Amino acid sequence: MTMAAIQDRSHADSGTGIVIDGVSHSYGSRHGSGVLALDNINLDIRENEFHALLGPSGCGKSTLLYLIGGFIPIQQGTIATRKGKVTAPGPERSIVFQNFALFPWKTVLQNIVYGLKKQGIGAAEAESRAREFINLVQLKGFENAYPSQLSGGMQQRAAIARTLAVDPEILLMDEPFGALDAQTRRVMQEELRAIWQRSRKTVVFVTHDVHEAVFLADRISIMSARPGRIQHVIDVNLPQDRGEEILERPEFLELSERIWRLVREQAISASRGEH
Amino acid sequence: MTSAGDGNTTVKLPAEALQGQRTSSAYRLALGDAGVQAAVILFLCVLWETVTRLDLVHPFLLPPLSQVLQRLWEDILSGTVFVDLALTLYRALSGFFIAAAIAIPLGVLMSRSAALRWFFDPLISVGFPMPKIAFLPIFILWFDIFDTSKIIMVAFSCFFPIVTATFAGTSAVDKWPVWSARSLGAKDREVLWEVVLPLASPQIITGLQIALPVGMITTVVTEMLMGGRGIGGTMITAGRFADSVGVFTGIVEIAFLGFVVIRSLEYIRGRLLVWHPESRR
Repeated sequence: MTMAAIQDRSHADSGTGIVIDGVSHSYGSRHGSGVLALDNINLDIRENEFHALLGPSGCGKSTLLYLIGGFIPIQQGTIATRKGKVTAPGPERSIVFQNFALFPWKTVLQNIVYGLKKQGIGAAEAESRAREFINLVQLKGFENAYPSQLSGGMQQRAAIARTLAVDPEILLMDEPFGALDAQTRRVMQEELRAIWQRSRKTVVFVTHDVHEAVFLADRISIMSARPGRIQHVIDVNLPQDRGEEILERPEFLELSERIWRLVREQAISASRGEH
Repeated sequence: MTSAGDGNTTVKLPAEALQGQRTSSAYRLALGDAGVQAAVILFLCVLWETVTRLDLVHPFLLPPLSQVLQRLWEDILSGTVFVDLALTLYRALSGFFIAAAIAIPLGVLMSRSAALRWFFDPLISVGFPMPKIAFLPIFILWFDIFDTSKIIMVAFSCFFPIVTATFAGTSAVDKWPVWSARSLGAKDREVLWEVVLPLASPQIITGLQIALPVGMITTVVTEMLMGGRGIGGTMITAGRFADSVGVFTGIVEIAFLGFVVIRSLEYIRGRLLVWHPESRR
């Protein structure tokens, strides 16, 4: 599969992608009595790396992603990218949500064209580039379908195409395959890894699925139960080219088991905390 | 350009084919619906005519349908029915559009500004359940006894359902598409036009669909209270002259006008919301 639309960034130096420095966040705390969701997060996400944020539900991993995205104001600490401090959302940090968040009144093609036009690209060129990305995510033939006519997997392909089309430096993914069935999820994981292999964007991928994190990521940050802290940062030493066969390899299983034990402790304390 | 998609597209049914199937079956359904509805109306007409022909009801209380239709035909030939229909429609639609032009922006602004919400929310809560027609004497004093006060009366009654629906629709918009647009490069003010309004459009249109019949009712009632031409005025005049055929002719005209106007709005809704799952039932 050759893909002209995605630039080859593999030669780029692996400098700093995102620097998260002393970030804390609490919800509903106008008077300081709120719930502490994130507690003093310090994390360097390298440029061009596929980084997974892994943790039990409610640990604040999505909150951290929204802070990187600039969707919610940073209360304490700083987040910086190559473009400077994060203060607002921007197309260099584009996001894919669990519930797709496509524009339901636009067709697949129009959804992708929207983002391209926001980058100042003319209508004709935007459409031809949108078609390339539709081919990339294998939605050819569905250009003129509305999101409500598509299955969940197809909607998420369209959402990924829309986000990739604006060529963000940083790709934020908030449990993007969480709403899909197991088979579709597996296929989408392989495709995402393959797309990332070619584009080499900095990816921050939020998930609570250990196998998904190990299969996709180069590094995994394991977060504690609320208040969210970074407990461990683990390197995934698996081959760059990852197909289905890797799921059977002993080093994959061993690493998954090790990470699962770390996450399990957090999940148990999270469920105790809730009762 | 080569792509992995080329090999796989054959297994998928193209969206155009899906849409095609849906439209043809939807057509058949719509035709069936229209048939049943026409049959119901036809049945009521036959019942009306039969009851009067058999002298079960005094013709002054319920004149035969055939007489009513004959009067309607005479009015069509003389052109008076068109004057009445046009006047009533003009008043109803003018009031409706004035109300929409004020209520939609206000509803949107209320969802975005706490100060406006605090100011207007209690006014709307008090005004919505109030019988708007009670304000007619005030409007007559302030304006005139002709079109102005009627149109303002209509706009006043249409305003509340539209502003309420717009406010509810624009405040309940999901944050995910809004965030998506922002992360694709949309500015804050662009999001209002490009994301919030399209997402809220089903609810706004519902508000308009509630307001339009309210506007039609208000038009006919003000015409009846204030006299002059228009369907309501002509009916009241007919009533004063004990012309029961004339009164029932007015009823038939209102039914016809209401049907056409409501169906037009439904049609416009379908065209505007082709993307919505409701359009593919």
